[in-house]
Amino acid sequence: MIGPNSKRSAQAQIAAQGEPMVWLSGGMFAIACLMILSLLAFVLWQGLWTLWPRNYSIYTRNDGSLVGGELYSKHFQDGQNKLYLRVGNYDVSNRHFAYVSSLELADQTPWADPDLWLVERKEWGNLYGFPKELSWTKTTQDHFADQVTQGMRETAKIDRQLAQAKNELKRIDGDIAEARLSIRRVELAEKVDLQRAVESGSVEGLSPAARRAIGQLADRNRRADDAMVQINERIAELEAKRSERSVLFELPIAQELGTLTAPWSELSAGVVGDVQAFAKLIGVESNASSPAISVEPVGKELLLCKVAVEDQSIRRFWIRRLGETTCSVSGLQEHTILLADVVRFFPTNRLGLFQRLGVYAGRWWEFLSGAPREAGMEGGFFPAIWGTVVMTIIMSMAVMPFGVLAALYMREYAKRGWLLSLIRISINNLAGVPSIVYGVFGLSFFCYIVGGYIDGGPKKAGFEPWPSAVWFSALGLLALVSLAAFAVAVLSGQAEARRSPLRSMLRWAGGLLWLATLVGIVWLLIKSPHFQGFYQAQLPNPTFGKGCLLWAALTLALLTLPVVIVATEEALSAVPNSLREGSYACGAGQWQTIHRIVLPYARPGIITGFILAMARGAGEVAPMMLVGAIPLATDLPLDGEFPFLHGSRSFMHLGFQIYSLGFQSQNSEAAKPMVYTATLLLLAIVTLLNQTAIWLRANLRKRFQSSQF
Amino acid sequence: MNRLKAIADGQTIESVIHQEVLARETVVSIRDFSLFYNRKQALYNISMPIVKGMVTALVGPSGCGKSTLLRSVNRMNDLIESVRIEGDMLLNGESIFAPSVDVIQLRKRMGMVFQKPNPFPMSIFENVVYPLRIDGQRDKRVLMQVCEQSLRGAALWEEVKDRLYESGLSLSGGQQQRLCIARAIASDPEVLLLDEPCSALDPIATGKIEDLIDRLRGEYSILIVTHNMQQASRISDHTAFMYLGRLVEMAETSTIFTRPTLSETEDYVTGRFG
Ligand SMILES: Nc1ncnc2c1ncn2[C@@H]1O[C@H](COP(=O)(O)OP(=O)(O)OP(=O)(O)O)[C@@H](O)[C@H]1O
Ligand SMILES: [Mg+2]
Repeated sequence: MIGPNSKRSAQAQIAAQGEPMVWLSGGMFAIACLMILSLLAFVLWQGLWTLWPRNYSIYTRNDGSLVGGELYSKHFQDGQNKLYLRVGNYDVSNRHFAYVSSLELADQTPWADPDLWLVERKEWGNLYGFPKELSWTKTTQDHFADQVTQGMRETAKIDRQLAQAKNELKRIDGDIAEARLSIRRVELAEKVDLQRAVESGSVEGLSPAARRAIGQLADRNRRADDAMVQINERIAELEAKRSERSVLFELPIAQELGTLTAPWSELSAGVVGDVQAFAKLIGVESNASSPAISVEPVGKELLLCKVAVEDQSIRRFWIRRLGETTCSVSGLQEHTILLADVVRFFPTNRLGLFQRLGVYAGRWWEFLSGAPREAGMEGGFFPAIWGTVVMTIIMSMAVMPFGVLAALYMREYAKRGWLLSLIRISINNLAGVPSIVYGVFGLSFFCYIVGGYIDGGPKKAGFEPWPSAVWFSALGLLALVSLAAFAVAVLSGQAEARRSPLRSMLRWAGGLLWLATLVGIVWLLIKSPHFQGFYQAQLPNPTFGKGCLLWAALTLALLTLPVVIVATEEALSAVPNSLREGSYACGAGQWQTIHRIVLPYARPGIITGFILAMARGAGEVAPMMLVGAIPLATDLPLDGEFPFLHGSRSFMHLGFQIYSLGFQSQNSEAAKPMVYTATLLLLAIVTLLNQTAIWLRANLRKRFQSSQF
Repeated sequence: MNRLKAIADGQTIESVIHQEVLARETVVSIRDFSLFYNRKQALYNISMPIVKGMVTALVGPSGCGKSTLLRSVNRMNDLIESVRIEGDMLLNGESIFAPSVDVIQLRKRMGMVFQKPNPFPMSIFENVVYPLRIDGQRDKRVLMQVCEQSLRGAALWEEVKDRLYESGLSLSGGQQQRLCIARAIASDPEVLLLDEPCSALDPIATGKIEDLIDRLRGEYSILIVTHNMQQASRISDHTAFMYLGRLVEMAETSTIFTRPTLSETEDYVTGRFG
């Protein structure tokens, strides 16, 4: 009979049912899922949460001191809650963030004052405080928001004019630098020293070109002097206007005024017995209409006291219990900021959900489209996003032709053999080489050798040029070799259709000749005595001889080349041989078959490789540090300025930004929240690219789906 | 059975080719043709004619070299690096394997249909006119005309005339195979090479293709490989029986199936073999 008590051993039984394997593999699967999900959840949570406007809460410490901040995170450690507070007011407190232990706190429930405003500034980060006075108009707090908004509109106008003026200055500087460059070019071309002539202004005995260049410089200098005076005046005027408007805030930072004798029980009930003494202590005149004082408890031992003074503004004081009948009174530190520095402001503790969402959306918009402030800790990541995207696109445009053609040769043309296998294995291994190696190579080869060559010719790149005669004879030889290569190519093209022993011989000879031609061209280039570089006049300032967009893109292209080759090869080998045979049977040649049948069929796979390379390239950081990414770039690598694409500019890169913000900036602790947001962004971009790939591939696949039978 | 045994033992035997075949006009004549995959010999000194305007069937047990022989006629075996040949074939009296022959031109004179339908991943129209496209034909009118003519020739026109620009892969297996036949006759070849064209098809599709071959008879010279004896007897004019790389007997189909010279052939075609 067949049943559980048949003769099979229990072990065999279990093995046969395979139940434990199901559990084991299922468990592993669950763990893997969990790890991936928790990574995603972590980045998502941290990244999304950072920009959310929180309440600003004030905590009382055991020693009576106060600490206020936006609660960024809270974690349990060593038997205490550690609160991570964004305390802000950096210009006064000298820190952005602070850790507070729950053991230090006298009162675990903080006080969130509804009148407190958060001001995001262009400098010094967030300010938290109570608005007290606007310098340009005397109003109460009621119209504070309207007044500030209106004022900001005007200062924005001033800022725009200021930027314009500074641009003009920059343009004038550029013009003069250009004029100097043309003098330098003349110097290099004519091998003369024009320094003296430039200084003295006497141009006798100089060539017309030199005279023209010196004249131009003098002319531009003269005009610049006039213009500069005007512009500088205007700038000074604008700066003055800009600093006209300021806002006075009371910061929630206590400044002790003195002690007051009054029973605590009365005080905490809101009764200030000795008004005269209190008024004297806080420096307010008490007359017949004694100051209107209101007191509210904000903690077990802390009262917030609001005093309405004559001009109807309200001043705040802290009253802290010292004993049954004594307490200390503190005022709030005052601080003035320029209206022009304000980016965004809102009463953070009073916001409803929708207003909060509004602020959140506004911050995201700034994050995605704005320029960085505060060395990248605040503001936007647009230059980094832009730099990443532009660099990635150039990289893919560079890598695709090379990768696809190389794979095509290996899969369709090359003769199968040990050499090909060796090359294939090497390429596969190349994909595993640490990316920093590519960075080092990019720096030493692209930046220093190729870049140096472009800047200042062979000598700058470290090569000794040949004498002119030797070089020209080598050129003649090269011409002969390349002519021979061409002839052999034509011959073997004719022999192609035939089966002859000549064909393989011609192929070998042709290959060798082409190789020789290629090597010859490179050799002649680096040995040329007649090339002095395109940017010799700018030296010793490097133009291409340093890390820049072009070299970063090429380094990454090299790094992703194996990815593209492997993916393309896979795509090509997935093309059914029956299609190739069908094509040949129709009388198609090899290239026709490749071009009309193989490549279209392999296209989805090739595009997949392309996107994989893009995703890999977009996320690569290590080589970027060496070949062109910088933490803060003033100019975009692609902009509206001729020639639009600036290959020689350094650029900002999202991945590098994460690294430099989180680990290289002076205040990396404070930058951490931004790091998470940037990480989320990078993740989103890479996911977007991959998703596009999948969508594209699916769309292309549809065309090739066969409905067999 | 002794002849087949002799072949299996590696002995050389005389192929029996009936006079009635030799008397006809040939389009391809195979002359003492041998083929090697590396060391391994797949065809042994095959000599046989393929008669002009008629259907010649190649039959034989699996692995006996039918496909290899068929693929040699349009030199598809050139694509396999390890292949080496001896002997020659003549197409209308001109050598096929001479070094000076342009393979591409040669293949254009032959149409080939494979065992599994292999339509290209492009529209039905583009599939059919592919041989013209690679010749650089751009004239829409010519292409359309050839397309219709070939599809009619392959008995597919009525089924696809409204969906010419849909993917060739959207057709059924039988339709795909007829599409491949249409493609093979689009360049108006002299010889059609069919390698088990019906092996992947159901009886109805098979019937259609057999009708088609029947209609193409006379216009084209057809060499067809088949495992189906009934099919061979139904559609072919001549039948060649191969065994382990050798041609055993070749005669008019009626002769092969009713009164072959060799008892081995009779055993094979009546299914008493092996
Ligand atoms: N590419 C190849 N490389 C090496 N040997 C091959 C190759 N193709 C075929 N052969 C061998 O050549 C012999 C003949 O093969 P072929 O495909 O011509 O047989 P066939 O008669 O068509 O068989 P089937 O009826 O099964 O299609 C077989 O022994 C096979 O193993
Ligand atoms: Mg076969």
